[in-house]
Parts: sequence; C-alpha cells; structure tokens
Amino acid sequence: MNNTLLSITIALLFGIGTFLILRKDLIKVVIGLSILSHAVNLLIVSTGLFNGEKVPIITGEHIEPSSGTIFTDDLANSILAPIVPESAEMIYVDPLVQALVLTAIVISLATTAFILILIYRIYEEYGTTDISKLRRLWG
Amino acid sequence: MYISNHIPIILIVLPIVLSTITVILRTMPSFQKGINLFASLILFALSIVLLFNVWNNGILVYEVGEWGKYGIILVADLLSSGLVVVSSLVSLMALIYSLDYMDSRALNTTYYALFNLLVAGLNGTFLTGDIFNMFVFFEILLLSSCGLVVASGKGGFTKIPDKMEAAFKYLMLNMLGSIVMLIAIAALYATVGTLNMADIAVKIETLNAAGTMPWHIYVIALLFIVVFGNKAAIFPLHYWLPDVHPSAPSPISAMLSGIMIKVGVYGILRVCYLIFHDAMFILQPIIIILALLTIIIGAISAIGQNDVKRLLAYSSISQIGYVILGVGMGTAYALAATFVYLVNHAVAKSMLFLTAGGIIHHARTRDMRKMGGMVKTAPLMSGIFLIGSMSIAGLPPMGGFIAKFVLFDAGLLGEYYIPIIIALLFAILTLFYMFRAWLLMFWGEKATDEYGDYHTHTVSTRMAIPMVILAGIVLILGIYPEPLMALSTSIANELLDPQPYITAVLERSVR
Repeated sequence: MNNTLLSITIALLFGIGTFLILRKDLIKVVIGLSILSHAVNLLIVSTGLFNGEKVPIITGEHIEPSSGTIFTDDLANSILAPIVPESAEMIYVDPLVQALVLTAIVISLATTAFILILIYRIYEEYGTTDISKLRRLWG
Repeated sequence: MYISNHIPIILIVLPIVLSTITVILRTMPSFQKGINLFASLILFALSIVLLFNVWNNGILVYEVGEWGKYGIILVADLLSSGLVVVSSLVSLMALIYSLDYMDSRALNTTYYALFNLLVAGLNGTFLTGDIFNMFVFFEILLLSSCGLVVASGKGGFTKIPDKMEAAFKYLMLNMLGSIVMLIAIAALYATVGTLNMADIAVKIETLNAAGTMPWHIYVIALLFIVVFGNKAAIFPLHYWLPDVHPSAPSPISAMLSGIMIKVGVYGILRVCYLIFHDAMFILQPIIIILALLTIIIGAISAIGQNDVKRLLAYSSISQIGYVILGVGMGTAYALAATFVYLVNHAVAKSMLFLTAGGIIHHARTRDMRKMGGMVKTAPLMSGIFLIGSMSIAGLPPMGGFIAKFVLFDAGLLGEYYIPIIIALLFAILTLFYMFRAWLLMFWGEKATDEYGDYHTHTVSTRMAIPMVILAGIVLILGIYPEPLMALSTSIANELLDPQPYITAVLERSVR
C-alpha cells in the first residue's frame, strides 16, 4: 500500500514537471525542471526502501558470523558479494540511496541557481521571459 | 606505495585544488597564469606517465578510501588513460591559447577556476569506475562548461544575447539528460543492487547466464544511449551543438568540440561494452542507424554555412557520426578504428577551432563571405587551416586519412556494406565543405575594404604555438600512425573482453 502511494506520487510529479517544462514562460520551465528532479530523487529513495527501522551500521568482519552475510567477493568460488542469506531479516533501510539523493539534491540546487541567474540575464538582454522570443540562433 | 599508483587521484584532485586557489588569487593575474600553465604541464606529463604505466603493468585500480568495490574507485585502463592524455593535451593547448585570446576581465576573475573544474570533470569522467560518480563528474563538466560558454573573448565578435541563449539551450538539454541518467542509474541499482561498473557487469552476466535477465535491462541500456547521445550530439539530440560551440570563445570551442563530445562516445563505449555486453545485439542496429543519420544531417547542414565556427560545429556533428558508426559496428577492428578516429578528430578539430579564433580576430568578422585573399596576410593560419581541412576531409598525408581508411576497412571486413556506402558518400561532402571554407577564406581577392581601416590583429606567439604544435601532431599521426594503431588495437581487445577489468576491480578486499 505504502509503495503504491509512493509510485503514484512519483508518477504525478513526473507528469506535472513535464507539463511545466513545455510552457512558454522561462520561470515555469525552471519550476518544472526542479519538480522533475525531485521526482527523480523520490524515485531513487524508493529503490532502497524496505520495511526497516534499524540504523544501517554493519558490525563484524568480512564475514559476519552471526547472520552469515558475506561482504567480500571470492571470484574463484564464484561468490559475488554482498550475499545476505535467506534467513536473515532485512531490517535495514538501504543507506546508499540516501547518500545518492543528497548528492543529487545538491547538484540540482547548483544547476537551478545557475539557470535562474542565466534567466535573469536573458531577461535583461531580451526584455522578456517568453521562450518563443529567444530565436536568434537557429539550431 | 609508489607515487605512480596515486596518479589517477592526482589527475582529479590537482585541478580542483587549483580552481579554488585561483579564485582566491584574483588580485594576482600573472601569478595565476604561471601556476595554471605549470599545473597544466604537470597534468599532461602525469597523464603520459599514467598511460605508459597502464601499458606496461596492466589496469591500475585506485581506491578512494579502502572500501573495496563498495566505495568509489578509479580505474585507469588503456581506454580511459588514453583519453586522459588526449584531453590533457588539448586543454594545455587551449589554456596557452586563451592567455592572449580571452578578455582580461573574464580571464582574471573566474576563467581559470572554471577551466580547471572542466579539466577535473573530464579526467574524473574518464577515470571513474563507479556509475554514480560518473554522473557527478558529468554535472561538474556541465556547470563549468556553461560558465565558460558565456565568458567573452577579446573584441566581442559574439554578441552577449547569443551566448546567453546558447548557454540556456545547453543547460536545459543537459539537465534533462542528467535527469534521464539518474532514472537509469536508479533503475540499474534497484535491479542489481550495486553501482560499481565492474560489479554490475558481473551481475548482469550472471543473470543472463541463468536466463533471468529482466527485460527492463534493455530499457535501461536505451536510456543510457539517450544520455550519452545527448552529450555526444547524435542525431535527434544534435541541435544544441551548432548553437553552443560557435557561441563559446574559441579555446572553449576547441575543448567542447575536441573533448566534451567525446565524453559521450566514451560513455557509450564503457557502458555498452562493459555493462550491457549481453544487450548489444539490440543496441547495435540502433546505434548504426543513428550514426548514419548524424553523418547525413551534419554534412548537409555544414555545406550551407557562412559562419566559420558554425561550419566547424556542423562538421563536428558529422564527424562524431563516423566515430559512433565504429562503435555500432562493434568488431575488434572497428573499435580500434573508432579510437583512431576519435583521437584524430579531437586533435584536428580543436586545432581548427583555435585557428578559426585567430582568423576571426584577423578578419574582424565571422562571415566567410566577407573574408578572402587572406593567404597573403596570414600565411601561417592558412597553412594550418589547410592541414586541418585535409585531416577532417581525410586526405592522405594527414591523420584523418588513416582514421577514415581503417574505419571503412573495418566496416567492409565486418560486411556492413550499406552503412559504409552511405558514410563514404558523405565523406565526399566533407571534402567539399571543408575546402569551400578554405577557398572562401584564404583564396581569391580581398572581399571588401570595410575592415581595412582597423589595425589588423596579427596572431600573437602565444596563440600561434598551440596551433603549430597541434598541426604537427596531426601530421605525425598521419605519417607515423603505428603507435596509435597498436594502442587502439589493445583498447579494442580490452573492450571486447572486459574480464581483466572486472578481475582488477573485484579482487580488492574490503577493509
């Protein structure tokens, strides 16, 4: 149930973002871009979501004896880590996707700031924020 | 540990550190210049050392923090270290050139900082072994190149509104591209649970061997083709290039056309041949058709151009089509030909863009119809432009001939007859538009006296040196191509058999 709601939210955000990107006003285009990037961020978070509540800190050595989890590859015996045995319960939320989302958010912040300044300069030069008036260059 | 094992990280960290230092040192322009030139030379030397190291000792893996395959790793194999050498060479030349070319207001404030970030982004993209880290370096590339596109050169031959519009197009398309890339990465991570490229490759191979490869792997592969196709300006996403590359100042055009569009080709090579090795039978026809369309569109559009830099930009589109064609054909010989073509085009096109900057300064116009007869007033540039034109058109003593020859040879041996016929036909158009440009600019009568009153701007030594060096390299690549061929053949074998790459990455143990 939870995941269905999340998927519908992501789909809606993608729809709204795409709609706004196709508008004529430059500011609306940028708002559409940020909504799209947030939709992607939600998508990334949703890939690492389990029903977990513990903090993802791994204790123990290369092979955690208690749970049987393997972290190191052994190509000779064709063991591809990480291997979590069936019996072990997935009680962690995947921490990696949250790090990825942080990076993605920071990057989209930087690009959005840049594009807003660019739009301000375009407004100064062209006197309009209508995207159909920007036609000095013809692809 | 020896210093040579740390070269991959130095190649990335040094430019980043330098970019922060140069922002602080804005009040000391000459010191800024000196430290930048020195660091660029060091980077070039280090990249050559790295290439020899990898050539002699095999793939070099550098772990950033001892996290094994779970952390970020840098992998220098022959493909990435070879591309790092090319990009360091071109960026060194562009840096020397821009000392005299750029407007001092742009040069002394943030130009060096952005330029160094661009270099760091390029080196990082080529060297990283982690797919998400590749995305991060793509964004560094995007932001720094956007800042550089709007920087203005001396004389202001490109209007500011044009620059703004071009930068906006570039930024919009590439932000959409990075959103698509994030979707692809998230889908890939949700499927295989890892971001390390070698690890992903092993896992997809295992899935394929077990017959349980999910169908959306093909969709992810196509999404990656869209992303890298956008970077490389392949056919449906090519239209930003002829606006952006001419609007940028000439040294930056050289970087963008010489190296930046090759980043897309590198991405396709790396991702398709390492990760989606088993999905290639679907991707290959798509890549070949897109490459042919790119060749046709670029060549036809280039014929009608009157702006010299726009012509070169359209020619870049057409030439990147040939590179992608080799990627699509996918035999060992064709992949070797791809790398030869890529290096030759990088050197020749960056040289042509640098020369175009000099020509525009000399004639004080960008319109080729208003030039003419410049062979008398600018003999050096006319010779260099001729060498570049011959290389791009693929005439014998130049490097471009070798590149085109091996590419077509590989296509014929691989029995891709119809694509080769089309490519050959449009190679003749390449000859036509390059020589039309040369004749318009240098041959004939001096068109008008409009610009005669001005004090004609001769090319300074610091602008001439990079052009001459690059022209020399184009000639050497044509006369003595054996080392490059040997390197390319090894690269192709490495791409087709990624097992050494995978073993080198995965044998690391977690701390």
